[in-house]
Amino acid sequence: MISIGVQTKNVVYDAVPQTGFEIMKRAGFSCADFSLNSYLLNTSLYRFELNGFFDQSEAELEAFFQPHKKGAKNAGIEIHQMHMPYPNYVPNGKKELNDYLWNVVAPKSMKICAFFECPYIVVHGFKLSRNLGSEEAEWMQTEKFLDSLAPMAKEMGITVCVENIYNGIGGHIMEGPCCNVRKAAERIDRFNEKYHAEVLGFCFDTGHANLVGIDFEQFITELGRRLKVLHIHDNDGVGDLHQIPFTFTRTRENTASTDWEGFIRGLRKIKYDGALSFETAPVLTAFPEEMKEQVLEFIGQIGEYFVRNICWV
Amino acid sequence: MKIICSSSGFINPVRPRQGISDILKAGFGSISLDLDACCSSLELEQYGKLRKDNEEWRYMENYEYLPISEHPTKVGCFFERLLAECQSRNLQISVAHAPYLSRDTKRTDLSEVLFDLYKESIRFCGQIGCKYIVIRPFCTSSVKGSAASYESVRMSNFEYYLRLAAVARENQVMILLENQCHSLNGHLVRGVCSDSFEAVEWVDTLNDRAGEERFGFCLDVGVCTLCGQDMHEFTVTLGKRIKAVILRDCDGQHESSLLPFTSVCMGQPQTDWLCMIRGLREIGFDGQLILGIRDTAGVFSPLLRPPLLVFAKAVADYFKWQIEIENLLRKYSFIVLFGAGNMCRNYMKCYGEKYPPLFTCDNNRKMWGENFCGLEVKSPEELKRIPDGCGVFICNIYYHEIEEQLRDMGVKNIEFFNDEYMPSFYFDRLKMV
Repeated sequence: MISIGVQTKNVVYDAVPQTGFEIMKRAGFSCADFSLNSYLLNTSLYRFELNGFFDQSEAELEAFFQPHKKGAKNAGIEIHQMHMPYPNYVPNGKKELNDYLWNVVAPKSMKICAFFECPYIVVHGFKLSRNLGSEEAEWMQTEKFLDSLAPMAKEMGITVCVENIYNGIGGHIMEGPCCNVRKAAERIDRFNEKYHAEVLGFCFDTGHANLVGIDFEQFITELGRRLKVLHIHDNDGVGDLHQIPFTFTRTRENTASTDWEGFIRGLRKIKYDGALSFETAPVLTAFPEEMKEQVLEFIGQIGEYFVRNICWV
Repeated sequence: MKIICSSSGFINPVRPRQGISDILKAGFGSISLDLDACCSSLELEQYGKLRKDNEEWRYMENYEYLPISEHPTKVGCFFERLLAECQSRNLQISVAHAPYLSRDTKRTDLSEVLFDLYKESIRFCGQIGCKYIVIRPFCTSSVKGSAASYESVRMSNFEYYLRLAAVARENQVMILLENQCHSLNGHLVRGVCSDSFEAVEWVDTLNDRAGEERFGFCLDVGVCTLCGQDMHEFTVTLGKRIKAVILRDCDGQHESSLLPFTSVCMGQPQTDWLCMIRGLREIGFDGQLILGIRDTAGVFSPLLRPPLLVFAKAVADYFKWQIEIENLLRKYSFIVLFGAGNMCRNYMKCYGEKYPPLFTCDNNRKMWGENFCGLEVKSPEELKRIPDGCGVFICNIYYHEIEEQLRDMGVKNIEFFNDEYMPSFYFDRLKMV
């Protein structure tokens, strides 16, 4: 059965996590995308800065997240997916930094995922094609990283999900890692065959796909059962705005300039039965704080609209 | 590889002499002819809507203008003057672009109108000795509605192209498919043949059914940019099926045909020239490189178009040089480099094994005798003792200053190397003193 979720960022706070989960529940969500990446920001990493969060031991991290786990459970929210801190590799970063990301942050993220009994963790592929000279060479490095996680994933029953992401040049967004669906499908199959387990899957990000004009229906259809989780959000086709679906139009007719119908058709075709998870944290800071619950409720209602139209039963 | 100038923006078919003269003086020997000059997408969108008792229709008849969409056999007549001028001035027409519907067309009823137009366009190409014609897929929307719908798009296009193949064969013309985008409520997104595997399948299937290589591919760089695509991957997948490339710049949001390197933001180009050059280089592209800069041409005064064309030719030559850089390296039995810095380092990374230099030299005497990236650094005086037929590649951005120095020394076979579009890069740059 399809469930509806939203990311924890800007809803759940470390001080009293249960409050945030209760807000989610009241808004109509049944699951959450845990924003683990909030604990080591990409903006810091691109400045080659580390905080000490992942220096904590496994026990300390579990103690830190115990209130979150308990709060979610008490509120009736399932932690359905989470997002590993990214990037997993900083080009031009020192070896110590990248070793830390690979050998400390990534495995501890997996353990946190297991602690939450969360079945899916989303990772970003390495952005190396411009330096290494090809997308194939770039994927080889990402695959080495995934190989380092796969045994843990298999043991813990977690599926690592690669996500379609982008690069930017001159302020213009171009496709980045995992934007070629045929290659993604082939690589996921090969990887899972190697480990005799479903350790690798795909996270389809609608906003990223929209920025590079990807055909949602075709992409989702080609992925099929490899599609495990979603990041649902909208943008104007120019910037990665993470806004509510159906927000943007471009013509006088004022019809949506993002292919939500194709999105629905694709999910219906593949009989998707996972979570429709909205990655819409920026919406909550765009609207006044006092309207947060109403905004979340509205996002949840859009999720219900999707469910009604996707429903293949 | 042949560099071609698109006629759009420069040649008025009704009064072509000045435009053709400007193109020839800039150094172009060949053009691509945009047949939409005789039948625009606007005309096609309005097809059948002009009534014969309409004043506008009477005006056209008075001035002997007949819409080509209604009279496709008149394609040749429309370009009579242009053809005559090209023939008298020995300007070749190497590629033609058939008329097309707009990206957000509402017309779904023009298949036979377009078929007649394409047929006559192909015949026209045959008459003038033009080997290639770009014909956009008829139904440019991508998968819509259901799998059955995509299959019907595919089949109807195949059927269409195969009907045209017979005409193309009679006229010895190759039909080039082209990567498309389409308008999703004003947002330009990937369309038919924008997926490289799909494009390969279409070209191969059509050639298979035609029983010969009657179909190829035209890569539109502008569409790749609009669709945020990795041109390296796209190009390498298509390989030798690419017969023509339309070189144009745009901001990735609006469809425009600008001079390369002019759509810039925050000091960076908005078109991924690196990936394009890498891809074309890797496949050994030697087809038609079409400079399509109608929008840049349109905003310049006619007084400035001649120098614009000269500059545009230099830009196109630069692309050709970059794409064919290995041809230049291959030309020489021996190679030496001038410069012991980052450019030399990048040369050695990407080409040092395949085209090993004898040594490098540098004006910095502190480096003489040292080993730099596996090469001995020598005094420039050593260039007076290099073997005959040895190429001297300047690996420094102060090309002309060093070239002058070497010419004064009597050095021959001076070439420029460049590391702006290398097959791969180091993650760092050396800090040179």
